[in-house]
Amino acid sequence: MAPMLEVDGLTKVYKRGWPAAKETFRLEADFRIEEPGIVGMMGPNGSGKTTLFELITGSNTPTAGRVLVRGRDIHGVRTDERDRLAIHYHQSYQVRHFRSLYPNALLERAGSDYPLVHLFDEPQFNTQDGYIGFMLDFFRRLRGEGRLVFLCVHPNERFHLEILEEICERFIFVQKGTVTPIADFAGLVAHEPCRAYLGDLLAERAA
Amino acid sequence: MAFFEARNLHKRFGSRVVLENVSLSFEQGQVSGIMGPNGAGKTTCFHVLTGLHKPDRGEIELQGVSIAGLPPQRIARMGVSRSFQIMNLFDDSVVIENVMLALPEFRARRLNVFGGVFDDKALVEAATDILDQVGLAARAWEKATSLSYGERRALEIGVALAARPKILFLDEPTSGLGTEATRRLASLIRQLRERYTIVMIEHDMRFLFDLADRISVIHWGQVIAEGTPAELQANKWVRRSALGEATLA
Repeated sequence: MAPMLEVDGLTKVYKRGWPAAKETFRLEADFRIEEPGIVGMMGPNGSGKTTLFELITGSNTPTAGRVLVRGRDIHGVRTDERDRLAIHYHQSYQVRHFRSLYPNALLERAGSDYPLVHLFDEPQFNTQDGYIGFMLDFFRRLRGEGRLVFLCVHPNERFHLEILEEICERFIFVQKGTVTPIADFAGLVAHEPCRAYLGDLLAERAA
Repeated sequence: MAFFEARNLHKRFGSRVVLENVSLSFEQGQVSGIMGPNGAGKTTCFHVLTGLHKPDRGEIELQGVSIAGLPPQRIARMGVSRSFQIMNLFDDSVVIENVMLALPEFRARRLNVFGGVFDDKALVEAATDILDQVGLAARAWEKATSLSYGERRALEIGVALAARPKILFLDEPTSGLGTEATRRLASLIRQLRERYTIVMIEHDMRFLFDLADRISVIHWGQVIAEGTPAELQANKWVRRSALGEATLA
């Protein structure tokens, strides 16, 4: 079977200025995930995490490269059915409008009824109510049903790291548009840019 | 088959998915709870279950009869009654009148608009019986505006009961209530559960854990967890939360 998710030479470039447009941001990603699982994603603000989610879910058009969900190029799927392949759970109530150069009639059907890839963008984790437990069980259930879960967390408390360690099998660290896949939690906390990003949180954890 | 059952409900507003593959079942004579964070889709779910919104896909059955897609008034007459998060009362009327207007007997009077409603003994009696159930019989002839916030909530439940429902949906009954009013509402729901099948959305987890037989947790428009209060409270993170500590104490 085709890999669960293939991010193939994906590039997004933002430019600004006239007449000579200057590059203001560049995101580059190239990785593949063969099997269902839970992937933790981290990185400083403005590093391109949400942009990467948008490119994977097909709500943002790449400058170059492809995103294949179980072998299907999401940018070639009808805009109103892209979320049947990969769905972005936004931080708040923001809604992205899906755009395409081509009308839906010329695009492929999704061929799926329930999303295969679920991307959770900074879900609210707080210890006040206990919803964390239900969310984590839900992520596990999705994985059990053969789906791929991305969990983007901006850790600002120690238990956020505990959550990532408890539930994620692999990680992706994003910094200044550079996307680095990391095999496991030990690798994540050993990754130098990630250590710098987590700073005191790691020290606290060791304490 | 459950008394009330929803299977694989889908609903989207434009490009936003608000309900994704939601299945819920409510058993007769039980109190079922629905909880979830703000914006999780709880109220939309209620709107779909009670017919205010049509689901894009999925099936809803009351005692095995399909009600999905029927107009809300039709669903209401089949025995599905609900309250709203924002209170809907006739403030200029007296308490009992609010209930009378919602009685099926009142609708049956239709053409008889000239006969005074308050002279209709059967109607007054039926409404008094409802007010008695929600603890407001003594306030029947006072203006609705004279009621406290908690009493207004009880009256609203009375209005929903006036339709003689088979199943009663309550949308955040504790919202805006203080500790004492919440306690009184809990005891009202304990009395009502003897006679009605109740489904309630609640933000107040403690209230729900205390009253519900089963709870469904909704987030991102999906049912992310389900179980008895004991099962849900056994979750490690719930035990770690402020709620867990309070419950175990």
